[in-house]
Amino acid sequence: MSLHYGHPQIAIGLVFAVLAFLLATVFVVIAVQAGSDVGFERVHAVGYWLRKRWLALLLVVGVFVVGISLFDLPYASGGPSGRTVVKVTGGQFFWSLQPGSVPAGTRVRFDVTAVDVNHGFGLYDAHGHLIGSVQAMPGYHNKLDLTLSQAGVYRIRCLEFCGLNHSVMQSTFTVTRG
Amino acid sequence: MASIIASAPSALHPRAAAFTEEARQIERRIGLLFAATGVVLILLMGVLGLIMRLTQATVIDLSPAWFYRLMTLHGMGMITGALIAAMGALWYVLHESVPLRAGHMLASYTLTVSGAVGVLVATLVGGFGAGWTFLPPLSFFPAGQWPTWSESVFFVGMLMVGSGFFVYCIDVLRQTTSTYGGLTGALGWRFLRGREPEAPPAPVIAATVIAFDGLLAMSAGMTIGLGLLGRTYDSRVGFDLLASKNLVYFFGHTIANLLIYLAAGAVYVLLPRYAGRAYEVTKVFVAGWGVALVLILTVYSHHLYMDFVQPRWAEITSEISSYASALPVAVITIYSMTMLVWGSRYRWTLASTLLYLGLVGWAIGGTGAVIDSIIPFNFRLHNTVWVVAHFHTYLMLTVVVWLLAFIAHVLERDAGETSSKTARIWTMALLLVGGFGLTGTWFVEGTLGIPRRYAIQPPGTVGYSLVGSIFAMVFALGVLACVTQLVLLGQTAWGRRHYVLVDHMDSWTGSHYQARVARADGERTAVEAAPWAPGDVPLASPGQLCIGAAACVVALASFFPQVVKASETSIRYHHLDHAGHFFLGLMFGLVIGSLPAVSRQLGDRSALGLATVIVAPAGMMLVMVPRFYEPLERHPFEHSLYHLAMAAFGLVAGLAASRLGRVGGRMSAFLSVGMVLLFAAAMKGG
Repeated sequence: MSLHYGHPQIAIGLVFAVLAFLLATVFVVIAVQAGSDVGFERVHAVGYWLRKRWLALLLVVGVFVVGISLFDLPYASGGPSGRTVVKVTGGQFFWSLQPGSVPAGTRVRFDVTAVDVNHGFGLYDAHGHLIGSVQAMPGYHNKLDLTLSQAGVYRIRCLEFCGLNHSVMQSTFTVTRG
Repeated sequence: MASIIASAPSALHPRAAAFTEEARQIERRIGLLFAATGVVLILLMGVLGLIMRLTQATVIDLSPAWFYRLMTLHGMGMITGALIAAMGALWYVLHESVPLRAGHMLASYTLTVSGAVGVLVATLVGGFGAGWTFLPPLSFFPAGQWPTWSESVFFVGMLMVGSGFFVYCIDVLRQTTSTYGGLTGALGWRFLRGREPEAPPAPVIAATVIAFDGLLAMSAGMTIGLGLLGRTYDSRVGFDLLASKNLVYFFGHTIANLLIYLAAGAVYVLLPRYAGRAYEVTKVFVAGWGVALVLILTVYSHHLYMDFVQPRWAEITSEISSYASALPVAVITIYSMTMLVWGSRYRWTLASTLLYLGLVGWAIGGTGAVIDSIIPFNFRLHNTVWVVAHFHTYLMLTVVVWLLAFIAHVLERDAGETSSKTARIWTMALLLVGGFGLTGTWFVEGTLGIPRRYAIQPPGTVGYSLVGSIFAMVFALGVLACVTQLVLLGQTAWGRRHYVLVDHMDSWTGSHYQARVARADGERTAVEAAPWAPGDVPLASPGQLCIGAAACVVALASFFPQVVKASETSIRYHHLDHAGHFFLGLMFGLVIGSLPAVSRQLGDRSALGLATVIVAPAGMMLVMVPRFYEPLERHPFEHSLYHLAMAAFGLVAGLAASRLGRVGGRMSAFLSVGMVLLFAAAMKGG
């Protein structure tokens, strides 16, 4: 199962907006009802009855969402066979990518590290959408597997605060037409 | 002839009199001192936040160097300000049922405020700008922006803030556990198992969990802080960056999380006073806080989701914990609060409205946080401003408004009235529109992948910062309106400090009027602490003393020449060996200090014990900086003495811990050893 359709961030944002609106509505209703006079025994009886269902709902949603998420973990596994390894090194305030371009449709393994402080390797596609990120940490190699199917100039931005020029620490990565 | 017919209308719900104690002067003073100090700090840091947002909107032309100085100060200052205020609020409600000591609280205040001053100097004067999370080794790569001394001052400041909270937590833990029958009693677990007919009050359970988790978090923070402080003195001190990152986020995330729980602990007492319904501690409540005790500690790893080298089990455990930790909040705390409010003829005052608003912020901000804690979602949101959005939602619209609510509550009670309805409506409108507008802008930016902590925003996104800045100013107006009402309430409360208003009826004319009646001199009797007993020691029984002695014998192995020689092969192993020496001394100190005859001789020296139990492990870790120990390595005898000094630090820490009672002593001894072990794990240079 995969969650990689459309632009996930937009879907995430919309789900959050709906949930936030529903929560806000519930709080408005409770605030309006706060002025009425209802016996606490009645509130107890109905409230505790409802609470069990509320807990059950949250548990079901949790098992479902967390369960599905475990099938879509971004962590690379196994060796790099069949993948083009791109060695990524971050430093104050540059990115080095070797090689700097691959053909469209290539299964890429980004092997990410850093030479000085922690950086964040954030990969944005040619339309500026954040595809994903991985940390660049001195002394460690984080491996990110992606299949880059769309041709274009991808942009790398630093996604971990790394000092003075953090916000301008950028580079590009080209995916050529296969 | 006139007769009193009732007290003048109080700011509280009429039914609240049945379960509301009159606050004592010490509670009001300590509560207000902490809350006012914290809120002043929060307001100043809020101004810095606005300046940063206006800089991102290119309205203000601030250099990146200054942006990151302000960002570092804003983060550390906000956490410190909220921590001070929330500590005061919880102390205010907890002191009703637990004999907390004002002296310890003032020591905690002095340390925390001094630490905040240190951070202020390090950032504004020294130019330190590595962020409040100071992710190693960024502090030591300043790109020419700050001198070494500013790093030292920052870490000393951070350690002082940590020590202040440490003192608070130890006192809270010691007093709740000694008042309610040990740790299991104070957590309500004896009630849960049917061994006690009644559970402790809600704030007692909350405070015990907070103190327990707070001590663990602060120990991790102080360990990495000491390592970093050592590095400012000697550049050969090195770090395992993954282990350091774990320590930093275990400390940082947990403390930020505990701010909400600290404030919530007070809200359990305050909100019912406006609903006229006492908060009921049920077995579900106790179980929920029991679950929270563990989950608060295990969720932090979601900050390391994008560190793919972090063990997979840690990432998955964190995802499950992050979701699960929302359940007690959603199903118990927020839900039960709304049950209290529903149909209660809730008394809407400045304080009670802010209390209710805080629930909304927690629910909505928490939802954003839970979404971010799902790994595939985090893959696309990690370190974007989505993170900024969700934590500002529950820090601005929950913690800060609850802290303002706390001050309003104290002043409303003393003034016997609240602010005008019009003022309250305007204030709430400004806070709601400004607050959710600001965080909403960040949520939108987060979905667009805009990174956080950018002094210069990506091209084409400056407009969002401008809109956010406008909402931030609206929120600031709301806070200003709120503070103005607090000042006015404070003036009224001050004017009425010697009298109360009561409703009178003239028996001749039958007319009603309010008259001044002098306040009663007597105060509610404070809960008395049990007198110090020599037997209140960490190792109380002969069996426990034997276990302590056995641990000493095992720890002697750390002095065996073969072990010492083997440990020389790596810095980590060598530090581990030092930890063994420290452990030997600590257990020996605990055993000696727990012997009845010695305990009687040492007496109740809890203040000295508390100070020593913080300083001794810190000293032990600092002398592991190469520049300190290298001169001693030239001669084997000196080197042996150095190892003995490690055990001596442990001995002093053990004796000190034996002065902190059963639970406090065991906990502080455990933390001392834990700190030196974590130090060994995180440091690899030197």
